[in-house]
Amino acid sequence: MSIGFDAMGAAFFEGDRPVAEEVSLHIASGILQIGLDDGRILRWPVEDVRQLPDTAGKVGAVLWLKGDPLARLFVTDTSLLTHLPNRLRRTPPKGRGRLAAWALAAVAAVALQIGVLVPLLADNMAAYIPPAGERALGEATFGHIREALDDTGLNPVPLCEAPGGVAALERLVARLDAPTNGVPQINVAVLDHPMVNAFALPGGFVVLFRGLIEAAESPDEVAAVLAHEIGHVVSRDPTRHALRSAGSIGVLGLLFGDFAGGAAVLFLTERLIAAQYSQEAEAGADSFAHDVLARAGISPGALGDMFESFRRKYGDRDGVAAHFLSHPALGARIEAARAAVEAGAAYNPALSAEDWAALRGICE
Amino acid sequence: MSDTAVPDSPWAAPPQAAPAQPQPDGMQVEFTGRRWPLFWLALKTGFFTILTLGFYRFWMKTRLRRWYWSAIRPGGHPLEYVGDPLEKLLGFFIAVVVLTFYIGIVNLLLMFVSFSVFNSSWLGYLASFAGVIPIWFYARYRARRYVLARTRWRGVRFGLEKGAWGYAGRALVHWAVTILTLGILWPRMTFALEKYRTDRTFFGSARLVQQGRWQMLYRAALPFIAVVIAGMALVLWILVIDPITPDLLSNPGSLPSRFVTALQLGRWPLGWESPERLWAVPVLMAGLVYGAIHYRWVAKRIMANHKAAYGVTFASRLQGPRIAMIYTLGTFISYLVLVLGIALLVVLSIAMYGPTAWLEGANAAGLGGLGNLPRWLSFGILGVIYLSVFLLWGVLHNTFVTFPIMRHMARTTTLPTTAGLQAISQRDRDAFAEAEGFAEALDLGAAI
Repeated sequence: MSIGFDAMGAAFFEGDRPVAEEVSLHIASGILQIGLDDGRILRWPVEDVRQLPDTAGKVGAVLWLKGDPLARLFVTDTSLLTHLPNRLRRTPPKGRGRLAAWALAAVAAVALQIGVLVPLLADNMAAYIPPAGERALGEATFGHIREALDDTGLNPVPLCEAPGGVAALERLVARLDAPTNGVPQINVAVLDHPMVNAFALPGGFVVLFRGLIEAAESPDEVAAVLAHEIGHVVSRDPTRHALRSAGSIGVLGLLFGDFAGGAAVLFLTERLIAAQYSQEAEAGADSFAHDVLARAGISPGALGDMFESFRRKYGDRDGVAAHFLSHPALGARIEAARAAVEAGAAYNPALSAEDWAALRGICE
Repeated sequence: MSDTAVPDSPWAAPPQAAPAQPQPDGMQVEFTGRRWPLFWLALKTGFFTILTLGFYRFWMKTRLRRWYWSAIRPGGHPLEYVGDPLEKLLGFFIAVVVLTFYIGIVNLLLMFVSFSVFNSSWLGYLASFAGVIPIWFYARYRARRYVLARTRWRGVRFGLEKGAWGYAGRALVHWAVTILTLGILWPRMTFALEKYRTDRTFFGSARLVQQGRWQMLYRAALPFIAVVIAGMALVLWILVIDPITPDLLSNPGSLPSRFVTALQLGRWPLGWESPERLWAVPVLMAGLVYGAIHYRWVAKRIMANHKAAYGVTFASRLQGPRIAMIYTLGTFISYLVLVLGIALLVVLSIAMYGPTAWLEGANAAGLGGLGNLPRWLSFGILGVIYLSVFLLWGVLHNTFVTFPIMRHMARTTTLPTTAGLQAISQRDRDAFAEAEGFAEALDLGAAI
């Protein structure tokens, strides 16, 4: 039995010349017969005929034969399509295995760059960047963070600068009298933001959040956090971190099709604030803090108290003091702080009662 | 009508005599696509793109191109886009490997030098940006080569010869010349770059040639030139001939303090001389935009009319005002729907969580709202919203700008001479491993 189709407007393209050949169309015993003007008849098994997907308009469909990437049959009689059982089956072009191999290699190369090359370079560079440059880097980053932290995105988060509080903070830094190890000066700023957190930036910037000062139970805890962050500054952890991020953020932005980048900036901020330094870096900053506190006559146990009280108050919740809390070895760090307390030593509070009150009021 | 068979001729009228042909040998370009199917296709593929964090965009682009290409039908036969999404993905990965090196390592070094030597970041940014410019032109040419290599009509491939670095070099020189001549030689650049591309374009075995001279493009720039002259006349008029604020212009140094006074008083404390003349400024701005659109598209028309292959010619009746109207209306509709959509989203979320949910979240702790969620999750949600807004914008832009422009371009194009098609044969496949990866990575040609 043979079914004929309306071939008015139908055309066959053999895949060599851009000239339409008229055709007659029949289906007989599972074979699509394409009759050409010169008397040739092409036989396409109906199960091997495919239709081009995503065609616009209702007029016409383009058919091709599996295994022949060039020849095309343009038909206008759509009743023909119902006789082609596999016309919508996917028929990917050959050579996709090689493609996948290439893709894998490419991903590996990117991972190598982000994971190995950029950190290596950043770590080495951090040691050579001159102090003034480091400071400029810190100032630029601080500006970005203040802008990004504001919910409306319109004004940077304000600094807390009540004169009494600033003076108390200065006295506290002076009392700690930490070895600066080449960093020319240490600037401590307080951001008017409720997050319970603190972070360090390149060039000697240490930033405390208002939330942290409010959550602290004694001036010793603030002093401990300060000493810990100064420890990061002195060992140049933030510089290394900022350089690494500068290198890898652009790459991630590329991957997610966001070259110009709003999302990248957001991500950068997130990473800098919740900076997760390596375990050694944290331990180093802790032991630096123990030494500084002990020499200043402040109990090194305050660092442990701070961790402990945060853990009690907020549990292991994410987002609160993540910088301190999310570290797996927190218990060990508390132990270390307690162990640094000398039994017979006489410790004084980090700040006098008036100064502590002034510091708590720095944002008013 | 070419169907002019003599009534009593012994020869039957040939059945293939197509109804509407401008000349016996000529060919119309039809456009068969409709707006709503495109809208749904764009929306659906855009949705998948969000779900896959952007990786479906290679499939989205492929499917949209297939759709557009199949809608454009010279002589009734659709163009075909045979690009493969996976090859785009691979090309993108290749480009990312090269660009990661550039962005990761070179930028790191530039930043280091910039901060170390100059204590600021702007020099690093500048150098890094300047380094991208040649890659940008290179990527544009490569992307065009890829798209042409994957386009067929009547089973025959198009193609573009190699020459991306040559293109990038010429583009840099032409841009420098254009900037140095304050834009007076802009048409020379337009023409030279188009000629470079066209003269390397093939359909099957036939090479396309760009004829004509660059001076002919000044005709397209007439509206822009007229607006610029009018603008200069206006500036002359309101500042020199009949000054709009005589006392300020005689003493321009007082401008900052005057401005402060104006802010305090809530009004401009100076004597105005017929300030209604300032209404001409927004009108002229709109005129400049129109002039720019008119130039871009009418220049395309003029150059299309001077393109030819052996035995094949092109004719375009593209209308500058029509394109400008499409841009205006399309952008307006897109923005309107986008704003309405976002408003709806906000209203819905307030209805679901209550109006105070956001405030409570912000008070509890953490960045922004959503304070009760872990930080990575709230960042994730923000990211998805950000992506959604941009994808919705893309969908609307496709429906209301790209679609009508494609349709207008197709319907105003004809091929008055097509005899040369008989002599054309197939060309070899252009394997092209990196596809349009660089353009994709640098976010060029984001739409189609």
